[in-house]
Amino acid sequence: MGRIEVGFTEGDSVGPLVKEITQDAINLFEGSAGQSEPSQFTDEEAARETLGTSGTVASGRMSISFALELLRRHFGSDVFNHSGIVDLRFLRPVRPGDTITFTGEVTDTSREANGLKVSVKIEAKNQRGDTTGVGSGSAIVPQAFLPSEE
Amino acid sequence: MVEVDNRVPLDWDALEVGEVFEKFEYTLTQEMIDEYRRGVMDPEAAFPTISHKVDVRQFNAKYSDNGSVNARCAFHCYNSPVPGKKLTVTAWVADKYLRRGKNYIVTEAVSVDEDGRLIDRVITHELKQPWEVGKKWDE
Repeated sequence: MGRIEVGFTEGDSVGPLVKEITQDAINLFEGSAGQSEPSQFTDEEAARETLGTSGTVASGRMSISFALELLRRHFGSDVFNHSGIVDLRFLRPVRPGDTITFTGEVTDTSREANGLKVSVKIEAKNQRGDTTGVGSGSAIVPQAFLPSEE
Repeated sequence: MVEVDNRVPLDWDALEVGEVFEKFEYTLTQEMIDEYRRGVMDPEAAFPTISHKVDVRQFNAKYSDNGSVNARCAFHCYNSPVPGKKLTVTAWVADKYLRRGKNYIVTEAVSVDEDGRLIDRVITHELKQPWEVGKKWDE
């Protein structure tokens, strides 16, 4: 079990994490669950019929995966994979060819029975500066992981 | 052979919040995990369960509709799944609401592995008028 060498303070920045979205990446994401039927994510015609868009879009769940990575890198997998939460609202479609940058900022810390709860606001923007998703996340850092108080 | 669609056409007004779906079981393979990690470009990604969309799987197996768009999603991590272990998913209709004349359905699911380890919880708000995406955003 590793001790975290930094504290968590309101205003601390989290990330950034940059992801280049390709149709191949979307296909792998969808295919990993055994999804082989054409869908709005993998097939332009299905996207046109279902969404009325001229091309495919990435599932919002890909953005969730990226937000999980953003916070896991910040908190460490020992902490985040056992107490992490992300909650995102999807504001604009993410499409193949987009570059999405995820950033976060610590907004609050509070003592819980089992450690320090650290809350983070999360934002995702595309290469044009448009916000594609906003939300929040948190993790509970066990006391044993925190720097000892002098 | 033509496949028969036995699904029930979705009646949003009649849909009951609290409806629990039949449990869904699947085994997460190392191949699924590897493919997911390549898709999200993260070799340490620990929750490939998110791509399985288990919160809406049983809903979509029971109801037919015009599709949907994910408007909001929350994911809670408890323990990363172990490859080769069977996962059991319990999913239910957590809420439904009308906002700006559009219908949303909230589904929630909890996954537990064959050893009884709690894996994750996912809560999804789906907009049931997916064509709104093209109307609003397609340039």
